[in-house]
Amino acid sequence: MMEATITAHDLSVAYDDVLVLDKLNVAIPKGKITMIIGTNGCGKSTLLKTIARILKPKQGEIVINGENIKSQAPKAIAQKMAVLPQSPVVPPGLLVKELVAYGRFPYQTLFAGMSEHDLEMIQWALTATGMSEFAERSVDQLSGGQRQRAWIAMALAQETEILVLDEPTTYLDMAHQLEVLTLLQRLNREQQRTIVIVLHELNNATKFADHIIGLKAGKQVFAGKPLDVITPENLQQLYGIQAKLQLDESGTYPICVDFSLATEE
Amino acid sequence: MKKRIVIVIGILAVVLIAAVLLSLSWGTYQMSISEILQTLIGNGSKVQATTIFSLRLPRIAVAILVGIALSTAGCILQSVTKNELAEPGIIGINAGAALAVVLVIATSTTSYYSQLGDWAIYLMPFAGIFGALVAAIAIYVLSYRKGISPTRLILIGIGVNAGLNAVITLFQLTLSKGDYNQALTWISGSLWGSSWQFFWLIVPIIGIFFAWTLLESRSLDILDLGDELATGLGIRVEATRRKFLFFAVALAAASTAVAGNVAFLGLLGPHLGRRLVGPVHRRLIPTAGLISAIIILFADTISRNLFSPIEIPVGITISIVGVPYFIYLMLKMKE
Repeated sequence: MMEATITAHDLSVAYDDVLVLDKLNVAIPKGKITMIIGTNGCGKSTLLKTIARILKPKQGEIVINGENIKSQAPKAIAQKMAVLPQSPVVPPGLLVKELVAYGRFPYQTLFAGMSEHDLEMIQWALTATGMSEFAERSVDQLSGGQRQRAWIAMALAQETEILVLDEPTTYLDMAHQLEVLTLLQRLNREQQRTIVIVLHELNNATKFADHIIGLKAGKQVFAGKPLDVITPENLQQLYGIQAKLQLDESGTYPICVDFSLATEE
Repeated sequence: MKKRIVIVIGILAVVLIAAVLLSLSWGTYQMSISEILQTLIGNGSKVQATTIFSLRLPRIAVAILVGIALSTAGCILQSVTKNELAEPGIIGINAGAALAVVLVIATSTTSYYSQLGDWAIYLMPFAGIFGALVAAIAIYVLSYRKGISPTRLILIGIGVNAGLNAVITLFQLTLSKGDYNQALTWISGSLWGSSWQFFWLIVPIIGIFFAWTLLESRSLDILDLGDELATGLGIRVEATRRKFLFFAVALAAASTAVAGNVAFLGLLGPHLGRRLVGPVHRRLIPTAGLISAIIILFADTISRNLFSPIEIPVGITISIVGVPYFIYLMLKMKE
């Protein structure tokens, strides 16, 4: 069995009294791209936010690299895991290079300035995301795709083995969606980073994921390789749709070519 | 950016020096620049020396400190509340300090300012901090529901501000005439009667918290990115917010204790500063502080002289500029 980087045990999370995650058990494999899919309100963003420590679980625990996140210092976790929320806000006038430099925060001490290594990482993050030429530009003046890349550059500068992204392609057109996902895939392949993404577009998920987790009503419905788990039965259970699937040309991942709402029998 | 900040700070420093010279020279007793310089190096007449060293210089020094303190408090509050309209005068922190100071004055004097006992003068900044802290805690507790919602914090702050001002007004009605004038000074914000004593009283408080804020300014930068990213970058959001809120309270209270409730200064400096050097606090805080210091110095010089011998409170002069700017910002935010 694969090695897990992040595991959630019996995780229950509630907003006020509404239970969103119900004794959920998931495992995120190390060095792979994991996509979490499911309907609106199924708890996928909640799961991500709980992993990211933004929400406190009512019950259960989250373990990163064998250590409970509760027993780790915030900055220590920030050195292992970078988190990109759904639609982050940027202070007006902030330059791309300044934003990316904020990614070095977990490594900085009160009195020291930027170290040589900090500067190297910032440069590298800008280059890897193709943002070097925009370094001196103000983030709020960038297009949606460029802005998303700037945020990813910040997360990269954080120099973590785990990257967690909540719907990084929302509001992007198809070309830009592809651009962002290809960038993430390259980071995964070249540097074996563990990447966890909550995604809406099923076909993007099957194409880029090594591991797909389907969530419904706060429970895991299925988890595994796209080829194994993206089946008409599973999709009907997850979304309540009847999907027509076929394999891509290389035969490595399923594509949903059409679907209709499942009718009750 | 580095070059730009050097130019901006350089220009602001020159303007500040000009404001200081103007303030030194313009008054009931006029002095030329050469007379000022002569007096500064010890060649002035007795009257000149008194005017400069005992009256105008301490007032200028206090003004600069107040400008820096309120502007820094404004920078902090705008990040903590994620609202660019936040500043200590609007959300009731200054009013809390003012109320406490007015209470001290009312209980310790029967007539004018100069007759305030030494102990009362030393008590004022601490009363101010106490009052500001009580106001801040009230705002914090009232807006706390499983964490702080920035919008709620602002709205409750505005409410607390209105409430405190009502209490101050109520209190004013019961004051004797002399007390009333003094209380009014604090309520509108005035540098009237600033002495070196005041200066030395607030220098340590403002110095410490200004330096501390600057030292930890990276945390303010990160808070600007929102709670989720800040958490992801390893900040304990709620604890950091509380800490900075305390810094803002201390800074605002120290300045309110000597200059009263000067509104808008915490708004104007940070805003203009952001336009000049961007939102990174390492650069913003010093720039905004300089701008606010310049504004209060010019405003105070005008307040002293425009209707001389009557002096209008500096807070009112600043509000004449501040209110339209505030409205402009509100309109802009709506878009």
